[in-house]
Amino acid sequence: MAEICYEVVTDACPSSVYESTPAHSRRRPRFQTVMHEDWEKNCKRSKQEALATRYSSIPRSSREDFSDQNVDVSSPRYGVSSVCGRRREMEDAVAIHPSFSSPKNSEFPQHYFGVYDGHGCSHVAARCRERLHKLVQEELSSDMEDEEEWKTTMERSFTRMDKEVVSWGDSVVTANCKCDLQTPACDSVGSTAVVSVITPDKIVVANCGDSRAVLCRNGKPVPLSTDHKPDRPDELDRIEGAGGRVIYWDCPRVLGVLAMSRAIGDNYLKPYVSCEPEVTITDRRDDDCLILASDGLWDVVSNETACSVARMCLRGGGRRQDNEDPAISDKACTEASVLLTKLALARNSSDNVSVVVIDLRR
Amino acid sequence: MEANGIENLTNPNQEREFIRRHHKHELVDNQCSSTLVKHINAPVHIVWSLVRRFDQPQKYKPFISRCVVKGNMEIGTVREVDVKSGLPATRSTERLELLDDNEHILSIRIVGGDHRLKNYSSIISLHPETIEGRIGTLVIESFVVDVPEGNTKDETCYFVEALIKCNLKSLADISERLAVQDTTESRV
Repeated sequence: MAEICYEVVTDACPSSVYESTPAHSRRRPRFQTVMHEDWEKNCKRSKQEALATRYSSIPRSSREDFSDQNVDVSSPRYGVSSVCGRRREMEDAVAIHPSFSSPKNSEFPQHYFGVYDGHGCSHVAARCRERLHKLVQEELSSDMEDEEEWKTTMERSFTRMDKEVVSWGDSVVTANCKCDLQTPACDSVGSTAVVSVITPDKIVVANCGDSRAVLCRNGKPVPLSTDHKPDRPDELDRIEGAGGRVIYWDCPRVLGVLAMSRAIGDNYLKPYVSCEPEVTITDRRDDDCLILASDGLWDVVSNETACSVARMCLRGGGRRQDNEDPAISDKACTEASVLLTKLALARNSSDNVSVVVIDLRR
Repeated sequence: MEANGIENLTNPNQEREFIRRHHKHELVDNQCSSTLVKHINAPVHIVWSLVRRFDQPQKYKPFISRCVVKGNMEIGTVREVDVKSGLPATRSTERLELLDDNEHILSIRIVGGDHRLKNYSSIISLHPETIEGRIGTLVIESFVVDVPEGNTKDETCYFVEALIKCNLKSLADISERLAVQDTTESRV
């Protein structure tokens, strides 16, 4: 299957796949009155945003320095691929923070990875990329949190992030997005958030929305998150219990509008669309890798296929050789993430696609 | 004078009269219709300055990212609307049916797009009123639309009403902020 997929990708995806759909922001005519000038303020996309819509892969550029005694806690190898695809706008964001926990915890490094798939506009996902890892860091009470403590840490962080994007709208909307809307809080903008903190002995995943985290263990997929779709029985019960309604329009949607049951932001759909994450904590074993990705990938690529592709790129999933150059592992992760992205586009994914592949081999 | 101390220029009877006069829709089989009302603490001229912009509905409608109009602002003009991501549509083509600057009424009909709202027609009208002693606007929006195959009338109305409620809330937020700006500027 992996070989067939590889062929499909090779044939179907020229390198130009990384060209994003250009965003046409026509200049609107300016009026003479102050009121109209206010409305006509154009938030020009920053160069950063322009670059973000085009970057295809960002291998980690420098290796973290560790004492020789900490050979078991080497820095993570990872690869990222994030493309606009067929959508008009790039609304995905990715955050990677190796050794992100506070200095006092440096004996037990924790590495942060996050994928945020925005909808309605990009600024909530962009805000998550800038802030959520810092909130998690602030909420961490120790470097050896137990299961309940991790759940509390993640739940509090996500709630704070949600409050931030709601109240932050009261100030000026970021210049990175094109919101003409002057509505306080941009109520109808939101984002998924699938976050993973990797410690020497555990993988913590917190998920809100329909992005996904999948662990590849001995070549087999182990889901570490469950998609928050409105027709998931427990989500449907929760929504209706809160007085909301799920209508199957083109797919199940909260109020017929939003196709996910949890998200950061989307204030207008509270309390039906919750920002509470589901948290899983998994002991590390002889694992291959972890894949975090937006639904632009998962809607068209199964967990099994994604694992096969990633494992193939990581040299068939064998143990990392003792003297393997870290750069080689980074390259393999990058290749895996790029290949998965190309596969999603070849299968006509209609969304932005963002993929992070993290090498977990010791 | 209302018992609760609020003096309104409009009352339920007047609302019904406005609806009877301005919000007539011809329903056929398998269509549904509904009317929504919103009270806004801003004068009619401010609210109307947003509503009448057939060429820029994104000024107050939160689900629209862009709008292109070909030709002048007159009956029959068509606009191409881009819808923001996350919703069950990406485009909508809409025709201007009525624009009355004296009575403050706008009517549109959806004539195309990749959504499931067929034969959709809506009317939005503004009426001056007094809210807690201050000048305000009563907004009435009504619509009629085909019930898509696979959905019920109830579901269809619920969905469209949810969208219109968001639009009207946004219209209120923006209008009220403009009204505050207006007042502030007029004092300078």
